[in-house]
Amino acid sequence: MRKFRRQGIVITTQLSPDEVMLLQSLIAQLVEMIGEDETDGADGDGPTGGDPTAPGGSGDDPFAVWAKEFEPPGTTAPPDDPALQRLFPEAYRDDPEAAADFRRFTERSLRDKKVADAQVALQHLAMTDQGRQELRIPKDEVDPWLRTLTSLRLAVAARLGIDDADVAEQLADLPDEDPRAWLASVYDWLGFAQETLLAAL
Amino acid sequence: MEERADAQQLEQTPWVTIVWDDPVNLMSYVTHVFRTYFGYSKTKAHRLMMRVHLEGKAIVSSGTREEMERDVAAMHEYGLWATLEKSDGEA
Repeated sequence: MRKFRRQGIVITTQLSPDEVMLLQSLIAQLVEMIGEDETDGADGDGPTGGDPTAPGGSGDDPFAVWAKEFEPPGTTAPPDDPALQRLFPEAYRDDPEAAADFRRFTERSLRDKKVADAQVALQHLAMTDQGRQELRIPKDEVDPWLRTLTSLRLAVAARLGIDDADVAEQLADLPDEDPRAWLASVYDWLGFAQETLLAAL
Repeated sequence: MEERADAQQLEQTPWVTIVWDDPVNLMSYVTHVFRTYFGYSKTKAHRLMMRVHLEGKAIVSSGTREEMERDVAAMHEYGLWATLEKSDGEA
């Protein structure tokens, strides 16, 4: 890809068909990863919870529906997946109870916002007609893009095991035959996209 | 009601939002977030970003617990690693 550049109130770049497909696929995976867990949260009882005496989600008991509305939304436990841990970090370092409360009341909306950001990016990508047209991002919609690129970089970094600056540097010099080489090049490419998008503002 | 709320606020220990260094987020992006969300000047945003980078963390805002929970939630939206805690008086 070329660097992003500014044309009036629009930031543009030209992506190849492969690059459009790569981004679409990465963003779709991100949305799926974020969405999957939300289904658990939306059920209110997740994989481990669940009161066996409760009327089991048939939906025709008004009291069950009512009770559900008063249940705090979302889950309280930090996610197991390191990528999700990084996308939904703990808000309190030394207070697990407060961290759980924070998660219960904010995680749902945080998930919704990340998905909404991703949808904005997917719409712009769809308008490139698989890379035949320029990618055009209106200046006031750059932040959803920056946040989505960040989510992708955090998710890829978690898969690559980047948890300190040394690992990040080692990955820059991987031999081609290393199994992580492709993902590391994706990580670099996402960084290039984000850096030039910021520079074009 | 108003007066009571104000008095309560004064008694409260201020809380702070802390952003922690991470190996993924670009320096230019962290600066952008501080400018965009907090409305900080380029200089202040850059100084805070450098503090995060060099010292491993920086206090980026202070206020009531509710305000700091809002700021932390916003930082998480942007993908920054942020926590809140009671101020130890340095802020």
